[in-house]
Formats: sequence, structure tokens, C-alpha cells
Amino acid sequence: MALYIVEADCISCGDCLPVCPTDSITEGAIVFKIDKKTCTECEGDFDIPQCVKVCPIDNCILPLVA
Amino acid sequence: MRQGVSYRQLHFALSGLKLMNSQATLSRELALRIGLAARALPDTDAKHLLSVLTACVGVPLTEEKIARIDLKALKTALAGDSEVDEPLLTHALSILSADLHSHPGVWERESYAEGDMPGSVRLACASNDGLHVDGYFGSCSQFLVYQVSAAESRLIDIRNAEIPKGLEVDDKNLFRAELIQDCQVLYIASVGGSAAAKIVKFGIHPMKLSGIETIVDIIAQLQTVIAGTPPPWLAKVMGIEAADRFRFEREATG
Repeated sequence: MALYIVEADCISCGDCLPVCPTDSITEGAIVFKIDKKTCTECEGDFDIPQCVKVCPIDNCILPLVA
Repeated sequence: MRQGVSYRQLHFALSGLKLMNSQATLSRELALRIGLAARALPDTDAKHLLSVLTACVGVPLTEEKIARIDLKALKTALAGDSEVDEPLLTHALSILSADLHSHPGVWERESYAEGDMPGSVRLACASNDGLHVDGYFGSCSQFLVYQVSAAESRLIDIRNAEIPKGLEVDDKNLFRAELIQDCQVLYIASVGGSAAAKIVKFGIHPMKLSGIETIVDIIAQLQTVIAGTPPPWLAKVMGIEAADRFRFEREATG
């Protein structure tokens, strides 16, 4: 389970970076990205994913469908 | 609702004003600038500013003479009036001396038909003076709407942001967002959180500037971005296909 950032919608505001409890978010060459190997969707830390909570764009951070 | 603000009325009101019995009429541009500059100053109407400027440089008022007025001279001439903040005075001076002839696009609306400018984006600038992005979203007097591509920019509309008299509006910010809902990008000096959310809901990308900049500079910056590698969200609103975006990505990541 992990989340990913929709590249075409991300505006690179960086708000998600500091709120990630697992430090899975980094600034990529184009937009910010989430490391799917370490992303826990905040399970165990918070009720809802913190990056989704702070992201100003709707449907910009979505669950990866395996 | 979308008439071109009150410049025209302002112009007629001012150009008809006789100055100290010794000046016929002001040029159209000068009249506009004096009116706009007066609006930028607290408790100052155009008539009062006219007399202050005349005290500064004498009659007749010309664009050259007014362009030479500096902050100190204006302050001295205004002495006796209640203290006005220096930034406001500087702002008023910049309106007075702005070379409108070199930026005709700021004042003359240009025609635009859908499809005229491929790879372009429509932006709204929240402005009070018509020259700078100096407006707060919820209080600016007008939105200047530009269609901008890498190669050209056109002022396609000037939209009065005030709610028309007699119209009942529950949500002023929603009214304002609807006014510019055909735009993809919005430049403002400031915007509140809930207003920003409404703007985003209309698919408009709000850009808050860290300082007051001229609209001409903003457009030049945007054109540089469009001509280079626009960020994906901008490419998306410009209608660049995902396949082409992928090309951008490969170039950017090397």
C-alpha cells in the first residue's frame, strides 16, 4: 500500500514534504514524488494520510493500485 | 458586468477639468494617470491631486514635467495634508510616470477568438491601478484578462470586480471567482484561504506574488516559462498533450 502524486496536477508547493511521518516524499525533477517502498499511507501514525490532508489540489495524491 | 471599468468616465471627467484657468485640457493618458494615482492615495481626489501637481511643477502640466516629480517634491507639495505613507506615494508616482505609450496592451483591449493563439494560457491579474498586480482577490477593483503564449500576449478583457448595484450576492468571493472562471491562472497580491479554495474549484491556479510587480513583468516571466519547460500542471491547462509532456519530462530528467 502506498500513495502516489499525480504529476499533471502537482503544483510543487511542497506542503506535503514536512508532514510525511515516514519521510517518503522528496522533490523530484518534475514534481514531488512518494517512495512507494516506504509510504504507509500514514497507517499507525494518523487516521488519514497527512499529505492528502494538506495538499491544496483535489485528487492529486491517490492510492497506488497494485 | 464586464464593461471596461470606469476609465472612460474618468477620462471625460478629468479632461474636462480646467486647470487654474491657464491650461486647456489634459491629454487623455495624463488625465487617466492622475485619476488612477489619486485613487491610490487615501483621502485624495483627482481634483486635489491636480492642484498638488500644479504646485509642484506649475502650469501647464505635461507628461514630461510630471515624470520628473520625485518623492521629495511630492511630499513637500503635499505638506499640510495628513501624513501619507511613503510606499503609497511611491506607488502613486509610479502610476503618474509610467510610460503608457510603451505598453499599449495595458490599455487597449485586443480582439481574440478561440484558437487564435495555440499553446496559450489565459490569466487574470487582480489590479487596482491597471498597471500592477496590486489587488487583493476580495477587494481589487478589476481583473485584467490576458491571453498569453510564448510569442505574444493580448489584453482581451477588463472586468469590473465590483458587484453591480442592485444585485444580491451571497458570496462575494464566489462571484469574483465566477467572473474569471474562463482563466487558468490568476495573479494576486494576496488572497485568503477560503477564497483560494473557491478559485481552485473553478480550475484556476492562484499565484500570490511576494511583492508588487507590474503586469508587463509578470507576463514576460510567464512567457519565459511557457517558452521553456512549463511545469506539468501548466502544460495541462495549456492543452499540451500528455505524450508531449512526456517528452518534456525526458528532457528535464536528462
